[in-house]
Amino acid sequence: MNHIPRIGIGGPVGSGKSMLIERLVPMLAKIGYSISIISNDVISKEDADRMRTNLATKRGLLPENMVIGLATGGCPHTAVREDPSMNLSIIEEMEENHPELDLIIIESGGDNITTTFSPILADYFMYIIDVAGGDKYPRKGGLGIESCDLLVINKIDLAELVGANLESMKKDAEKIRKEKPFEFINCKTDQGVKDIVEHIIHDVLFDLPPKSIRSEKVQI
Amino acid sequence: MNIDEINEELAVMQLSDSFFPTGLFATSNGLEFLFSKNQIKGAEDLRNLIKINIEQQIGPSDCVALGNTLENAGNKNFEKIIQTDEISFAMKSIKEIRNASVNSGIQLVKCVSEFVKENEIFDQYQKAIKEKKVHGIFPVAFAVCCSALNIRKEKSMTMLLYGFTVSVVGAALRLGLIQHLEGQKIIHDVKPIIIETIAKNFDKSIFDMWQFAPQLDIVQMSHEKMDSKMFIT
Repeated sequence: MNHIPRIGIGGPVGSGKSMLIERLVPMLAKIGYSISIISNDVISKEDADRMRTNLATKRGLLPENMVIGLATGGCPHTAVREDPSMNLSIIEEMEENHPELDLIIIESGGDNITTTFSPILADYFMYIIDVAGGDKYPRKGGLGIESCDLLVINKIDLAELVGANLESMKKDAEKIRKEKPFEFINCKTDQGVKDIVEHIIHDVLFDLPPKSIRSEKVQI
Repeated sequence: MNIDEINEELAVMQLSDSFFPTGLFATSNGLEFLFSKNQIKGAEDLRNLIKINIEQQIGPSDCVALGNTLENAGNKNFEKIIQTDEISFAMKSIKEIRNASVNSGIQLVKCVSEFVKENEIFDQYQKAIKEKKVHGIFPVAFAVCCSALNIRKEKSMTMLLYGFTVSVVGAALRLGLIQHLEGQKIIHDVKPIIIETIAKNFDKSIFDMWQFAPQLDIVQMSHEKMDSKMFIT
C-alpha cells in the first residue's frame, strides 16, 4: 500500500494545535500539496468541524471529507500512542482510497507534556506549547517537548502581557533540545509559520513537489 | 507443569489485557448517551445495562459467531468463516457499532499478525480482509486470532464477554458515573452472567444467532447523533 507521509501534532489544551493546522494547510495547499486532517478530540468534534468549515467549505483548500474528527474515549494519549488502532484504521482507508494525498496531519487531543506519537502512526512529531502556559516550559521538559522532531512555541505576541521571557525560553529550548529544532510563532499573524512549512517540506516531504505536479520545482 | 496450558494462559492474558491495542478504550456502547441524558445513575444501573448487553446482544450473537468460527477454524472450513463474518456483520444494525467492530477486528488481526506466523486459517482470513472478501467483524476476527493462538472455545468466549464488560466499566469510570472500587465490584458481579451466557450459547449454530434489545439499539443510535462526545460509540 502507498505510504502517505504523516505528521503528528500534539500539545496541551489551548496551545494552538488546530490553529497551527489552519495556518499550515493554506500555505501547503498554495504550493499544490494535497492534505488530509485527522483531528482527535477529547470531548467533541468541534475542532474538526471548525477546520472543515474554514479550510474546506469556505476556502475549498481540501475536500470536506478530508477533515475527519475522532473521539478518543477521554484518553487522548492512548489514541495516538499506546493504542493508535482507530487512527491507523482511518489512515489505511485514506491510503487505499486517496493515493493522491501528499500528507496526512494527525492532531492529538489536548493533553499533558508527556504526549508522544507512536512511531507507527506519525513519521514526524511536532509538539506545540504557548508562552501563556508560562515560560517555565520548555525548561521543565517532558517527553513531548524533549523528544519531538520540532518544538513549536506559539502566541509569542502574548509574552509581554503574561510576563514570559522569550529569551529565557529560547535558551532553555536550546539546552533541552540540544541539536533538535524549535521555532517561535504567532498563529494569529502567521509570524514564523512559514518556517514550519519549510520544516515540513524538507524533513517530511523530502523536498518533493506535490504529487499532482511532480515534474515542477517547489516554490514557497 | 504443562507448557501448552501455560502458553494458552499467556495468550489469554495477552489478548484480554486492556493494554492490547484494539481501540476498545474509545467505545462506550451507548453508555455515554444515557449518561448525558441523566438516564443512568450509579453502579446498579450500570450492572443492569451490562447484563442486558451481554444477555440480549453480545451473548446470543457475537458469542455464537465466535464459537462457530473457532470450530470452523479447527476444521479448516474457511467458507463457513466467511458466512459467519457476513451474518455477524449484518446483525449489527447500528452503524457506529458496526464500524467500530470492523475497525477493531481488522486492527486486531493486523496486530496478531506481528507474532503469529504460518497459520493457514489466520493467513487466509487476513488475506480475505485485504481482498475485501470478509468484513473483519470483531467476534469473527477475535475467534480467528484465538484459534491461531490455540485458545479454547470457552476461554475465548469468556475473554470476549470479559473484555466487553471491562470496556464499559472503563467508560463509566472516565465519565465519572462510578468510582474505581465500584468498577471492580461490577466486574465481579457480572461473572455469573458471563458464565450463564456462555453455557446458553456454547453449542448454538450460526442460524440460531439473534439479538433483541430495542431500547439499547435506540440509545446506541442516539449516540451517533450527539454533537459533543468522548467516545466512538
